[in-house]
Amino acid sequence: MPRYELALILKAMQRPGTSAALRRTVETLMERGAVVRDLENLGERLLPYKINKHNQNHLRGSYFLIDFYSAPNILTSLLDHLHRDVDVVRPTVLKKDDQVSSSNCCGS
Amino acid sequence: MLVLRGLTRIRTVLLQQGNTGLRSLTTTSSVVQPNEDRLIKMENPYKEPQKGCLLCNVTVDFKNTQLLSQFISPYTGRIYGRHITRLCSRKQKEVAKAVKKSHALGTSSSR
Repeated sequence: MPRYELALILKAMQRPGTSAALRRTVETLMERGAVVRDLENLGERLLPYKINKHNQNHLRGSYFLIDFYSAPNILTSLLDHLHRDVDVVRPTVLKKDDQVSSSNCCGS
Repeated sequence: MLVLRGLTRIRTVLLQQGNTGLRSLTTTSSVVQPNEDRLIKMENPYKEPQKGCLLCNVTVDFKNTQLLSQFISPYTGRIYGRHITRLCSRKQKEVAKAVKKSHALGTSSSR
């Protein structure tokens, strides 16, 4: 069961740059003892608003979603590391719950 | 005096004739037969299946921006209230949280 989800927005780059950034991210995850379960590409698209990060104005970005299991104490250091990475525009770690859909809703 | 005698005569005649009829009526009414028109206890057979809100059995996600955009105003970007969306409280809360989450994550715009 995935415990955490990393919603990652990377800078719009060429294929080798994106793959290198992803590889770096997953390696940092695995270094800290996380088990990566799934890596989804949500495509490259226009960002909903201009994001200013690392002295750069970003208009386009590629969205990725990484599911992983990990201990909760590594998350702060991981986020710190991701904020310092120049290629990462916005990293967000979310907790993942599966119970919401299973419970009955509205008596149907 | 004559009238009284006449009345008593009529009364006796009536009693002789009508008494048997009266008796038979009373005897039949004492036995109670089971009434077939009485109501049987059962669940309402015309009961309609309970309708749920729009998003019953639909998972609301911050990634699903198309679904979320249906619950926000296209002009101001404000989330519609429950009296407009007609969602149940649980789903309305989920939608509101997902919209705010997607703004923070850079998935959808707030303007």
